[in-house]
Amino acid sequence: MASLSTAILSLRRDRRILKLPPYLSVVLIVVGVVWLFMLPLNEYSRQTYVSENALLPGQVHTYFGGSEHNVFRAYRQEVAALAEAPVDERVQRLEEIFRSSGLKVATQSFEYKAAGTTVQGKNVYALLQGPRADATEAIVLIGAWRNMDNVLNQSGVALVLTLARYFKRWSLWSKDIIFVITEDSVAGPQAWVDAYHDSHDPQFVSSLPIKSGALQGAVALDYPAGIWGHRFDKLHVVYDGINGQLPNLDLFNTAVSIASGQMGIGCTLQRMWDHNDSYKERLQTMLRGMLNQGLGHATGPHSGFIPYHVDAITLQTVGDGWHDEMSLGRTVEGLFRSLNNLLEHLHQSFFLYLLLHANRFVSIGTYLPSAMLIAGSFTVMSIALWIKSGRPPTNSDAPSSEKAPKPSQPTKSSKLKNQTFTAVKSGSATVLIPDALLTITERHMFFPLASLTAISFLGLVPFYLFNRTPLPLLAPAYQIFTIATLPAPHILAFLTPRLLHRRPTSQELTLLHCFSLLLLGMYLSALATLNFSLSTLIGVLSTPFSFIPSARAPGATLSRREKARALVWSVLIALLSPTNVIWAATVALEVDGGLGEVLRRASFGWWVNGLWTSVVVWLIWWPAWFVASFIVGSGIW
Amino acid sequence: MENHKPLLFGAAAAVRFLLFTVFPSLPSVLTGRVEVSTPVSSFKRLQEGLFLYTHNVSPYDGGVFHQAPLLLPLFSLLPDPSRYPLLTNLLYIALDLLSAQALMKVAETGVSVSSLRYTSPRQSSRYSSAAIAAGFLFNPFTIAICIGRSTSVITNFFILQAFASAATARPLTFILALSAAAYLSLYPALLFPPLAILLYDQHIRRSGTTPSQGAYTASLAGGVSSAIAALLGLSRLITGSWQFVASTYGTPLLLPDLTPNVGLWWYFFIEIFDSFREFFLGVFWLHMGSYVAALTIRLRKQPLFAAVAMTGIIAIFQPYPSIADSALFLGVVPLYRHVFPLMRYPFLATATLMYATLLGPAFYHLWIYAGSGNANFFYAITLVWSLALVIVVADLIYAVVRDEWEVERPDMKGKEARQI
Repeated sequence: MASLSTAILSLRRDRRILKLPPYLSVVLIVVGVVWLFMLPLNEYSRQTYVSENALLPGQVHTYFGGSEHNVFRAYRQEVAALAEAPVDERVQRLEEIFRSSGLKVATQSFEYKAAGTTVQGKNVYALLQGPRADATEAIVLIGAWRNMDNVLNQSGVALVLTLARYFKRWSLWSKDIIFVITEDSVAGPQAWVDAYHDSHDPQFVSSLPIKSGALQGAVALDYPAGIWGHRFDKLHVVYDGINGQLPNLDLFNTAVSIASGQMGIGCTLQRMWDHNDSYKERLQTMLRGMLNQGLGHATGPHSGFIPYHVDAITLQTVGDGWHDEMSLGRTVEGLFRSLNNLLEHLHQSFFLYLLLHANRFVSIGTYLPSAMLIAGSFTVMSIALWIKSGRPPTNSDAPSSEKAPKPSQPTKSSKLKNQTFTAVKSGSATVLIPDALLTITERHMFFPLASLTAISFLGLVPFYLFNRTPLPLLAPAYQIFTIATLPAPHILAFLTPRLLHRRPTSQELTLLHCFSLLLLGMYLSALATLNFSLSTLIGVLSTPFSFIPSARAPGATLSRREKARALVWSVLIALLSPTNVIWAATVALEVDGGLGEVLRRASFGWWVNGLWTSVVVWLIWWPAWFVASFIVGSGIW
Repeated sequence: MENHKPLLFGAAAAVRFLLFTVFPSLPSVLTGRVEVSTPVSSFKRLQEGLFLYTHNVSPYDGGVFHQAPLLLPLFSLLPDPSRYPLLTNLLYIALDLLSAQALMKVAETGVSVSSLRYTSPRQSSRYSSAAIAAGFLFNPFTIAICIGRSTSVITNFFILQAFASAATARPLTFILALSAAAYLSLYPALLFPPLAILLYDQHIRRSGTTPSQGAYTASLAGGVSSAIAALLGLSRLITGSWQFVASTYGTPLLLPDLTPNVGLWWYFFIEIFDSFREFFLGVFWLHMGSYVAALTIRLRKQPLFAAVAMTGIIAIFQPYPSIADSALFLGVVPLYRHVFPLMRYPFLATATLMYATLLGPAFYHLWIYAGSGNANFFYAITLVWSLALVIVVADLIYAVVRDEWEVERPDMKGKEARQI
């Protein structure tokens, strides 16, 4: 044992060990990314299944049909008549309809101010008190007046009204049912669910006069067919919540199994209209899911519910087919009957998963290593840099010695003479190790720690800027900020020696790099547990930060090759700045409304939905980029 | 260095004051965090007790309030903190600054590098007292507990006062500070042996006379116990019954409240079968207490270090630890700057501490709010947190012992030591 530990100790001194971490780090990144691409294979993903026994999806006969169809058509006419009506008139009429079905009705008004715009409206909701319920639990059916594309959700709202009337006549509900007609698909549901949990700001959102028990689940309907109806082909199940939180997989599975198993309606997800379960399509579905999760934005009226631990999905009708509103109504009926059966909150199945297909998923145990490996690569590099920073600078480390050996430089043999050695015994063998490798130089941490703290806090500037700027100025402000910050680290690198009256030593820069990577790795691994996709996306985009050329010793001059290398690196790092990446992604994904719309949504998300993505971008990713760029810059100037 | 001090204290006070005023909801957010508040130090529970006290109900009736009774008249003098928080906030800021002042006093005596019986060969390399105070004042944990207004701030203040008065050989203030700390939180009583030895050593050093060990110890112990008895008697007068003893001291001893915290006890005692509960309570307390004798005897030459190591042990193994205890420990560690080069895992320990600091709240969120995790997530991270503190404590003890050893064996300086 002792000889083994000595062997390991002497190995610790081995120079080759220090050369290893960059390769190890690359290996970790490559394995992490390849891992991601393995997930859609049959061997790594699983067939979905319903874990919760109580749900019994599709086990009940659904009776929605017959004369209810006439009721539905009548309500659709009513909704159509209200299409252009002012808010108050519409709300009043919807209240009357709910009341005529024998439900308790209330309204809620809200007014959000974000990104220099005001979003206001009124939500109407009705409470069905379950005949067998004790008002401790409730399930929610949502119909947003306007859907995510700002189209009137005519048939969806009409269906909610019809179902409210229909559900009222059943005696089997053992949970209360709440029907909510919200003004829009993002702010309205958010205002309602915030107020339901008393975490709203009464200045902007009014409180709810009627409440029921703990929400057990929520289903939103998005069926924008007009007055003549529209036969749809598939149901698009939207499940992404705010900040990348997901509903329990059981809810999704129940919806899919009722829709496709009982009603024969095909289900699809992540806008994959044609999905024939091939590797490519699974991968595409997964990547789209990851992008949505990573952005963490609201994808439907259900999104705001999920942070409150209320499992929620949106059912959206897509395509041209032969399913009509009655099949959708019966699907919802079946789904509510299943939720009605629940004895406890959905907890059996997964909360952390990636879906590849309506019937296929990857669970957290299988996909998490990929994000952790990528986050780990930063930690490996930071440990290596820490060890390196403790090594005394030797002649061979000076970059200038590579090409131009000065005449005064000692030859190898004389170098050996000057050094002192220490004998390290390893088993029976004794090794002579130069003292230079054994001594650990004092690390000067003030400059690295102070500059890292300052740069991290600098991230508050864009964060504040983009959450406070009014909409018309957002895009120009962003462009100016991008152009101004690209050279900023280089300017800082140029100014630092003049302000400090000395060059930052290579040890200080190495330590700065080390701490920055350590912090990034730490943030990303913590983030991976909360929002896997965001962590992976930022991790992959930040990988070059680990491998920037090491800082040169003060006073050393750069050879032409090194100068060229530093320039190439500085261009690469500049291209990978968060500002550029967001800009490029906006162009590549052809977002409607361009950069301004993305920024508006981010700002709106922060103020209304409690979206944390911008915090991660500006306070974790951007400072890491700034430090990397600063270190590259210090090598040039 | 002297001229840095007003700047440093001003900056520290300004940071806290700004946090209090710019984010008025921050104190209540932090008070709600399990990492900051424990059942025996939570400001929310103090307010509850205060409400009952001012309405002439025994504050210990509800089973919520477990803090020392003398805090009640003190805080009832201040205006209601939920409406006029200014004075309460200023009190907490002042306590932090006074703690830092005490820490500076300890640093200025230089007793950490050169005590009566031992002078480190590395004594020239040490941080200035202002730097040590800055490390304490700007430690995010210290700031967090100050903003969270945990009553551990008061305990920490008295502990540091006890450190300072022991280092400057002032027995009377030592007795008062230590008994106040022990009265408030019980566990500081464990610091009595090392600090009493420190006081004795410093007394010899300062006055040149050598009082009899037995008499000196007896008088100190007598002083501390009579001071505690006086405080208890005063508490009896205020609350009108002895009910407070069971609530204030029974809670850490018997662990009736199993609210999660960063320590190792709560999960264990949730899981344990009731029939073994008393046994393991005894084992856990014995385990923590046994370090006192071991460390005090082994580190007889450097009693201050024995006390420092004890604060680390307390931060890990006490029944209701919070980051306040870690903040105190991490605040006194820089006194041993001269042995830092001998430490073997500073990077590992720091990285682990930081990882646990980030992952702790994340896992707590997954457990309590997102519902996608469970208690094991948070418990796992508290294990990592404790592990990191254990690494710091163990590595620091190793470094100090190694420092002593190199005085005995100068030939081994800088050489690889092997455990046999």
